[in-house]
Amino acid sequence: MIYKLTVPGPIEDVEEVRVLEWHGAAGRRFAPGELIVELETHKAIVEVRAGQPGVLRRILCGPGDWQALGAPLALLSDDAGERLPDTMDELASWPVDFEIV
Amino acid sequence: MLSEAAPPTVKLFFREAITRALREEMRRDARVILLGQDVGSYGGSYKEFVGLYQEFGPTRVRNTPVAEAAMIGLGVGAAAAGMRPLVSITYMDFLMLGLDPLVNYAAKARYKTGGQILAPVVVKTTAGAKGQGVAHSQCIEAWLMGVPGLKVVAPSTPADAYGMLKSALRESGPVVFIDHKRLFPTAGEVPVSEETVSIGKAIIRRRGRHVTIVTHSYMTRVAQEAADLVAAEGIACEIVDLRTLAPLDMATICDSLARTGALVTLEEGQLACGVGAEVAFRARERLGTLRVTRIGPLEAPVSSNPVLERACLPDAERVAHSIRRTLAA
Repeated sequence: MIYKLTVPGPIEDVEEVRVLEWHGAAGRRFAPGELIVELETHKAIVEVRAGQPGVLRRILCGPGDWQALGAPLALLSDDAGERLPDTMDELASWPVDFEIV
Repeated sequence: MLSEAAPPTVKLFFREAITRALREEMRRDARVILLGQDVGSYGGSYKEFVGLYQEFGPTRVRNTPVAEAAMIGLGVGAAAAGMRPLVSITYMDFLMLGLDPLVNYAAKARYKTGGQILAPVVVKTTAGAKGQGVAHSQCIEAWLMGVPGLKVVAPSTPADAYGMLKSALRESGPVVFIDHKRLFPTAGEVPVSEETVSIGKAIIRRRGRHVTIVTHSYMTRVAQEAADLVAAEGIACEIVDLRTLAPLDMATICDSLARTGALVTLEEGQLACGVGAEVAFRARERLGTLRVTRIGPLEAPVSSNPVLERACLPDAERVAHSIRRTLAA
């Protein structure tokens, strides 16, 4: 299955965050609890950790990019060979969120 | 005709705009120093000084005790001796403790000595209500507007915070730089290249022909929300963000009022002898008849209870209501 990793929230006072650092490139497999990406708010770093196993497939926001709460950051999948959605339109309504902790 | 491309910008958090301004000015001028509570390795209460202690060291970035009168007194003295200090007073409520050196010494130095002693000190402080109660919420900027020799600025965007803090640090006399607790979570585009924003110039944030809203700091955002609400009813608001409270840019205000003929002032500080009272009176002196409404908080201390805090402060609905009433009059 393909999953969408989104900016977690709500975070008090915060409307959007800035991507600080990805911990791995496309193709890396994450185990539950492993750190995927760090996000910056006006006063804190938000650590986004895997809540399920999965392979990072495509990063949609690079370091320094801004993204709104709830908006997509990356695509993951159970297996490395699964076909990804072709268009961003498809992605916008992608139904399955990647579990995070 | 040559078309000018907009200068490149980078999106920064409000605090980062402040850090950048200070970092650039400290690199540019060795006389610029920073004094305040938790400004050192902690990086400031709003993380607005992060990295400065590491770059400039303990001689130029100095933690102080919780002693506002002494902090501003030190800053004014250092300024008179040739330095360019920025004194950080975490909450504007506690600026009261340092008013004596600021008002009686810094603002007077040039006049008292025939220009032989200047006091180019910047006092940076954070105003506004955000859940911290009666003595950590106040906006007392209007108190400072009647002090000859003192400049007062209150930016509402990261770009203005950046450009105006740089200008403040290059002034020949004292400047109070006021930010707001609710501006710190915001982000905005700031020029990539090093630029300043002039002190003494208001800016029109929104064009409209029916009514002029004159406001500053965080309330500029509330004014925008209110303008969106009444726009649906066909009312076009012009929003003047003062940016500088002393000296007031009456030219920009009156220019707008000459077109709209109606003034709504909006501030978070108390209305009695407030920013709106001064703006409205000066505008009437220049323009004669004018429909005027002032909007401010209730005449009450701001509670730390969020429900009571909200009840006390102007919000978009209340501002929209006042706009409608002003235009119906």
